[in-house]
Amino acid sequence: MSQAQKILDALGGSGNVVEIEPCITRLRCEVSDASAVDEAGLKAAGAMGVLRSGTVVQVVVGPNADTIAEDIEDLR
Amino acid sequence: MSLVVTAPVPGTALAMADVPDPVFAQSIVGPGLAVEPPAGTVQALAPVDGTVLKLHPHAFVVLAGGGRGVLVHLGIDTVQMAGEGFELLVAEGDAVVAGQPVLRFDADAVRASGRSAVVPVVALDVPVGALTDLRAPGPVAAGEPLFTLP
Repeated sequence: MSQAQKILDALGGSGNVVEIEPCITRLRCEVSDASAVDEAGLKAAGAMGVLRSGTVVQVVVGPNADTIAEDIEDLR
Repeated sequence: MSLVVTAPVPGTALAMADVPDPVFAQSIVGPGLAVEPPAGTVQALAPVDGTVLKLHPHAFVVLAGGGRGVLVHLGIDTVQMAGEGFELLVAEGDAVVAGQPVLRFDADAVRASGRSAVVPVVALDVPVGALTDLRAPGPVAAGEPLFTLP
């Protein structure tokens, strides 16, 4: 499974993701249901860190964030 | 061969832990130092010799020899400004030398938007504690050494 697919799954799947915006080292993800986010799954998919604030989840993935975000958009 | 990382902007050097953003403050993407720039339009210089690996209006990564990447982030949450007040002077993929202007930005506009204009300079994919010669907090001129990468 691709890293993008693993991250999307750990965010609770395509249906749970409202928006993903890449910053240079992180994906800023807005989700519908924050409780459906699998933090351990995100780390297993290569996230260096996960920061949560309500329905906004920041997944720190390093400087390839924009490429990973494009790959995730392709899966949605 | 060790690599000296120089200040991309002038201002006041501060510890990464003092940056008002948890990802930078906790060194999640890597250790480094930050510089609080002065008022007005500020040029951001390449901190090392290398290739511009990533270039956004508000941030860039220069990849130096040995695969060592240095991230320069202009202000906090500035991705949300969508490039307003930022002007690129090089292109992604360009070779740059340390001290070469990469972009210029309006630090006043960043602050007027309620954001911090602080500039984290991050050694990517490096363990915390791997940096040496870390500059003490205080005034710094653009191009002066900030820290040394192994």
